[in-house]
Amino acid sequence: MTKPTRQRAEFARQKSDLFLETGISGSGRARYSAAMYFYNHGFMSADLLEIYRRCCKFDHEDPLALAKLESIPIVVAGELNIEGDASQ
Amino acid sequence: MRDVSIPETWDRRGLPGWCYHNPALLDLEKEELFKTHWQIACHVSDVPNPGDYHTFDMCEERAIIVRDTEDQVRVLQNVCSHRGSRVVADERGHCKNALVCPFHGWVYNLDGTLRGAARPDTFPTLDKHEFGLTPIESEIWNGFVFVRFRPGPQPPVHELLSHFSEELAAYDMTNRVPVGEIWKETVPVNWKSVRDVDNEGYHVAMAHPALQDLYGQNYNDEPYVDGTSRSFAEFSNSVGRRWAVRNYTKFSKPHEGLPKHLEKAWIYYGMFPNAVIAVTPETILFYQEFPLATGKSLLRSNTYRYPNEDRQQRAARYLSSRIDRETVEEDIQLTIWSNESMASKSFKGFYLSDLEYGVRTHHDHLRKCLPIYTLENDPGEAELSELNASMAS
Repeated sequence: MTKPTRQRAEFARQKSDLFLETGISGSGRARYSAAMYFYNHGFMSADLLEIYRRCCKFDHEDPLALAKLESIPIVVAGELNIEGDASQ
Repeated sequence: MRDVSIPETWDRRGLPGWCYHNPALLDLEKEELFKTHWQIACHVSDVPNPGDYHTFDMCEERAIIVRDTEDQVRVLQNVCSHRGSRVVADERGHCKNALVCPFHGWVYNLDGTLRGAARPDTFPTLDKHEFGLTPIESEIWNGFVFVRFRPGPQPPVHELLSHFSEELAAYDMTNRVPVGEIWKETVPVNWKSVRDVDNEGYHVAMAHPALQDLYGQNYNDEPYVDGTSRSFAEFSNSVGRRWAVRNYTKFSKPHEGLPKHLEKAWIYYGMFPNAVIAVTPETILFYQEFPLATGKSLLRSNTYRYPNEDRQQRAARYLSSRIDRETVEEDIQLTIWSNESMASKSFKGFYLSDLEYGVRTHHDHLRKCLPIYTLENDPGEAELSELNASMAS
């Protein structure tokens, strides 16, 4: 696999984990781990990453719902359209 | 060529009693024996899929064995680079994406590199390797994952066990699956009392009726030579008096490819200072003991089967596990009796049979590592470590 292909595959994998359905065992940590990946790549704000951290212990908690509740802007960049993807 | 002969004359004494209950010696053993010698953490089949992990705690050290996204088994310190917390708290499990420290939420990739600190905006840029989970020296040998917390005197595992490689090749040890979870039991004895019992077969006829029925007189111990020992046993021809043995020998069905001379063999390979790998026609297993305190040890073991065993092989495996279970309980009692003798002022010390030469050679290995064991009288605790160092120089 070439480097760009590997990067695209990794991006897709992380995106898939970011949007893991709530309630799945281990999904809270997987969502936070993926959020850290997107923060590192400039797709996510520190404030929104912190929301994912707070939710990571609880597989049933939806980080985006908490972000909205606390008026944390769901700031995204580029290909990662959180709200758009989350509503799919 | 390994010389496994028993000399005509040899010193039949064991270690002095004080060695079994001196806390300073135990600290030295932890540092200079356990952390510097190879330890079996698990088998690769205990972490079959990316994200699967197993933890291994020993003598205040903590390892995590995790399969990464490239399907490589990694052995890392289970110690967060931030505040030293366990990064995974469970004994085994699966992480879907990365390892997340439960204390503050630092995130580590499955290869151990740091993905990011929690609240990354409150830190300067962190190097992902410098602040990653520290790799622990490790080696995979025949599917078993060995770890060594600190550099030590042993060669790589494949060299250490090279004498047995040819014999063991027939067992296809890598391609096994765990029968269950790793078994653990705490016992109220010094770790050396566990090994003293396990290192000789002299007690089998008296203490282990099932094993005696199974392999009786067809049992032979080879002593420790250069850090390893071997005991070979073959099923007796006699009809077993015990139900489990009688049926086990009836159902035992060697896996395809096992040579004739191993079809009825139970073989035990000792690894100094504290572990044994054993093979039977149906299974492979390891067992080991670790000190928790001078008079408290942890027994740890797991068994692995062929992934494609048939019903008969499954039945034989069940029956052999009954024999094993019975034997372990009997051995625990023996270790208690052996250990309490070490605290008795009236006991003069071991006087060993030729059939217990393995005990002596294990003790000789201990003496070579830590010369303090050669002292007949308890040196106390205050300067034991320094005294040992001066004796070694």
